[in-house]
Amino acid sequence: MNNENIIEIKNLKKSYDHGKIKALNGIDLNIRKGEFVSIMGPSGSGKSTLLNMIGALDKADEGYIKVAGIDLIKTGDLSEFRSKEIGFVFQLHNLIPNLTVLENVQIPMYEGSYSNKEMDERAKELLKSVGLLEKIDQKPTKLSGGERQRVAIARALVNKPSIILADEPTGSLDSKTGDVILGILRDLHKKENVTLVMVTHESYVAEMAERKIKVRDGKIA
Amino acid sequence: MSYFSLILKNPFRNKTRTSLAIIGIAIGIATIVALGLITGGLKASTETTLKEGGAEITVLQNNSGQFMNGRIDKDRVSEIKEIDGVKDTAGIVRAQVEVPGVDFPFPITGIEVEKLILANVDQVNGTRFSNGSDNEIIIGKTASQTLNKGIGDTVVLFGKDFKITGIFETGSFIQDAGAYMSLDTLQNLTSREGEVSMIYVKINEDANITQVSQSIEDAYPNELTTTTAMAQASRINTGLSAIDTATWAISLLAIIIGGIGVINTMIMSVYERTREIGVLKAVGWKGRRILGMILGEAIVLTLIAGIVGSIMGIIAVEVLLSISPTTSFIEPVFSLDIFIRAFGIAFLVGIIGGLYPAYRASKLAPTEALRYE
Ligand SMILES: Nc1ncnc2c1ncn2[C@@H]1O[C@H](COP(=O)(O)OP(=O)(O)OP(=O)(O)O)[C@@H](O)[C@H]1O
Ligand SMILES: [Mg+2]
Repeated sequence: MNNENIIEIKNLKKSYDHGKIKALNGIDLNIRKGEFVSIMGPSGSGKSTLLNMIGALDKADEGYIKVAGIDLIKTGDLSEFRSKEIGFVFQLHNLIPNLTVLENVQIPMYEGSYSNKEMDERAKELLKSVGLLEKIDQKPTKLSGGERQRVAIARALVNKPSIILADEPTGSLDSKTGDVILGILRDLHKKENVTLVMVTHESYVAEMAERKIKVRDGKIA
Repeated sequence: MSYFSLILKNPFRNKTRTSLAIIGIAIGIATIVALGLITGGLKASTETTLKEGGAEITVLQNNSGQFMNGRIDKDRVSEIKEIDGVKDTAGIVRAQVEVPGVDFPFPITGIEVEKLILANVDQVNGTRFSNGSDNEIIIGKTASQTLNKGIGDTVVLFGKDFKITGIFETGSFIQDAGAYMSLDTLQNLTSREGEVSMIYVKINEDANITQVSQSIEDAYPNELTTTTAMAQASRINTGLSAIDTATWAISLLAIIIGGIGVINTMIMSVYERTREIGVLKAVGWKGRRILGMILGEAIVLTLIAGIVGSIMGIIAVEVLLSISPTTSFIEPVFSLDIFIRAFGIAFLVGIIGGLYPAYRASKLAPTEALRYE
């Protein structure tokens, strides 16, 4: 494992509703390349907000945040950063209902310069690795919750991101299905050496991580 | 799957809403296409009335109150021929008769056969009638279709059998719906021996239409008046340009109404897909790509409306012309212009209607979109 920090956060602040809600109140956090970190904390403590900041879905008000060498506060258009460096896995799968499983996985590839053939091959390879190769032509509505989350993981990985951000990926699944998803994520981290940051409410899930972080009132506790 | 097929797929997620929007725009497009086809047909028809060889001046009885059916002494036909600048004249008699199976009065003109050219009748399939023959007639192409009769068939007029010896086509929808027979015969049948309804005047090549018209009117003050083919055509053209203006007004209305319809449809669609657009942003889609997708969907919608509307317009014109006898002789003209205009408008409506919803979608904040229930 190398010691290079892929995520560097200093005194990061973010408030909503004109400063009334302080979602992040001075976060300091460094995460090394290839590390598996879990984030726990009470509801409303700022876990999702922190993850969204790392994934450049939202801009911080104050502080410093650098991810994969890019200053997220100073850089204007971050879509390329999101496309290349980040793979999101949400609590809800957020798949597009009128597209097939294969097409859903290909969605992030439109910003890259892939040929149709490459798009097919890459998406199939990932669906195979999550055990869904025989369902590629199905619509997401026909799948179980666990299967949908596996499609979402395949989608998150399709552009070979350096960081996977998972926000309660098992939150809407029963524990047995949840364990399958966790197994996939953990294998991924081990084999591909991707950085994995996972928000969870379950302490036994958090235990799997190399490092456990607690967030309380918008700060690292 | 390509970005393009993704755009093609999306409008059909809510089939009812998409179909309603398409029908709304298609009705506007259909109106534009239908008006275009009809005005095109009328224009082509008036243009052919100005053909070479035909008479430039028509002499009518003054104050007869009967525009096309005056009572003019037949001696005037040969007298006018002697006026300076006149090359040839033709006296004609007009009548309208009931024909079994045709629900409008059938127009018949009596003329000497060698003067047919003055009436623009120069192309006749079969043979012409002979002067003095009381059982020969030539009919127009449209008339042959309405009567469902061809060369060699017999048609009953004034209680007598007439044999159709030929079928002519002038391109004028009024003339092609009628028939020509010998002048003497029609005079006899309508008891108008010694008189004509009007006189066609063909002038010399170097003569001036206005001057010759004036000479004729001066020679018979209070008795005769003249009109020129050009004056008639320009009257019709004024009417047509009014229809043209109306077509543009309707086009504008279609753009506005269609545009509002598209805005509404696309805003609903963007609103329903808020979460999904959040995901697209989260996986790295640029604002521009999202804008392109929504705009593309709007254009797909309106281009389909363009196709549906064009088909509806063509069907509407064909149906209208076939059920209404007074318009059955109008031949719709299928010019590329009409369809370019229809699709241009459809495209414009797509851009105008799609731009704002597409812009809104591209500017959605990803976190807000993802929090959206
Ligand atoms: N877009 C927003 N607008 C307004 N308030 C927001 C927004 N996003 C988050 N908040 C508020 O910021 C605080 C932190 O929210 P966040 O979603 O980060 O919590 P969380 O730790 O993920 O909670 P949970 O465990 O329930 O998911 C909460 O009070 C929340 O209501
Ligand atoms: Mg959360």
